[in-house]
Amino acid sequence: MFNMVEATQVIKIPLTLEIPVGPQHPALHEPLLLKLYADGEEIVKVDVITGYNHRGIEKLAEKNSFFRDIFIVGRVCGICNTVHANCYVRAVEQILDVTPPQRAKYLRVLAMELERIHSHLLILAVTAEIVGYDTLFMYMMKDREYVMKAKEILTGARVMADYMMVGGVRRDLDSVKVERILEILNKVEERVKHYLKVFQEDVTLNKRLVGVGVIKPSDVVSHSLVGPVARASGIKTDMRAQDRYDAYDEIPFNVVTDKGMDNYARAMVRFGELFESINMCRYILTHLPQGEAVPDERRLPRRFPAGESYATVEAPRGELTYYVSSSGADKPYRVKIRTPSLNNIVNSSFAYLNHYIADVPIIFASFDPCISCMERATVIDLKSRSVREVTLKDLSRWGLK
Amino acid sequence: MVGKEARAVMESLQEVLKDYALSTYNMKPSRVVIEVKPENVREVFTKLVSVYGAEGLYLATIVGTDFPDKNLIRVDYFVNVFSVNTYVVLRTYIPRDDPRIPSLLDIVPGALAGELETYDLLGVVFEGNPYLRRSFFVPNDISEKGIYPLRKDSGV
Repeated sequence: MFNMVEATQVIKIPLTLEIPVGPQHPALHEPLLLKLYADGEEIVKVDVITGYNHRGIEKLAEKNSFFRDIFIVGRVCGICNTVHANCYVRAVEQILDVTPPQRAKYLRVLAMELERIHSHLLILAVTAEIVGYDTLFMYMMKDREYVMKAKEILTGARVMADYMMVGGVRRDLDSVKVERILEILNKVEERVKHYLKVFQEDVTLNKRLVGVGVIKPSDVVSHSLVGPVARASGIKTDMRAQDRYDAYDEIPFNVVTDKGMDNYARAMVRFGELFESINMCRYILTHLPQGEAVPDERRLPRRFPAGESYATVEAPRGELTYYVSSSGADKPYRVKIRTPSLNNIVNSSFAYLNHYIADVPIIFASFDPCISCMERATVIDLKSRSVREVTLKDLSRWGLK
Repeated sequence: MVGKEARAVMESLQEVLKDYALSTYNMKPSRVVIEVKPENVREVFTKLVSVYGAEGLYLATIVGTDFPDKNLIRVDYFVNVFSVNTYVVLRTYIPRDDPRIPSLLDIVPGALAGELETYDLLGVVFEGNPYLRRSFFVPNDISEKGIYPLRKDSGV
């Protein structure tokens, strides 16, 4: 017979699963480490760890001339290079007091809206891929390629456009190109309508998107989240409508918002913006003002007065801002770039909390979990029903006694 | 928004902050710059939030600029008061040899990204922010030497 020993204490040790996602990860597009702490299946804490790809663009911009910087800032981001260049160019134009001709303003908006179309198609395709719909991803990427072609017809390059210049744009459009871009837009619009139907009607997509990642409007504003993320929580903030830069004061468009606050609402806002952008492109192509769009590079100002300006642009991911300060030299004294992703990624770690691991959409492919104990354990004394906490170090000494 | 309406908004904004403003001027294009004392920054934000509502404005970015010849670091807070379609810039100057300024993290959680970045690149200490750390952006080999790359004399 065994001597039964009556239990006097229960020791609970909270196990937390620490899951590093990134900096290299199949579902992650940028070198970033999301350190997830999970209690069971539930996320309890997220650390955002950055610093894997800091290229020092702001310092580089301080060391190069104003005109060279147009090409440097275009390389901050591949997907939204024209909005970066546009924002910087407008900041420089304000320092110089240069106003581009109306036709150039329209063409700038056309380039930026084409960019918004392909950027939104990309992120919607990636959403489908993460849910597990690789075929849908492939189809959407194929249709995105038509938009890239339209961008190539307009700017001369599929991705890195280098389209903006101080006082105008680098290339003009003729009527043949206008017809070709219009044809592409018609083709793409049909496809986007189809994909919208897929996103609205597919059961799996709905299950994975609806009600997941809810962000309240008050959290959006206090955490400075911008762009479609803010608009999907019902916050009507859009720099195109607020600043009315370039030709946005003449081109009709609606600010798309949604009250859903979840992943599905964010996808729907992007779909809504796709249709808005396609209509804006059509409007621009049919209402293009006559006149010059390409300035003579040799006649651009060589001297920069002292001054400062702050330009904003509504990039596909949200508000992008450039602060440019000139001390009167040929190089800027300070260039500060604030990309929408800085706010949306670093400030949004709260949005993952209390969700399942599988709902952190970037964790989809293989991950390498390691189990680590949190520093504390809970000791419940069964006789007195008292609960106290001890550190694991102390707990390990109990065994020695 | 043009002309009269924009001017009215700016005047009301200046009226709200008149107790704190050391000077007021414009930055292109039509952003109003209000210079305030660094120790008043928290009060100014509390005031802005109480006037325009917690869902009426957000902190867009924090810009730090180094002025070694004046021995100053300038910290600008760009606030988008989107409920009235306007931008306000709160400008403060802090000494370069002891760059300290109160953190806004508990009033405006959106200040996190800007404060971490400005600390790592320029060495401005936001007092009360527990998350400040080097190598937020800057590679280890530079941050270990104690270099702040965006300082004009950093040699980077």
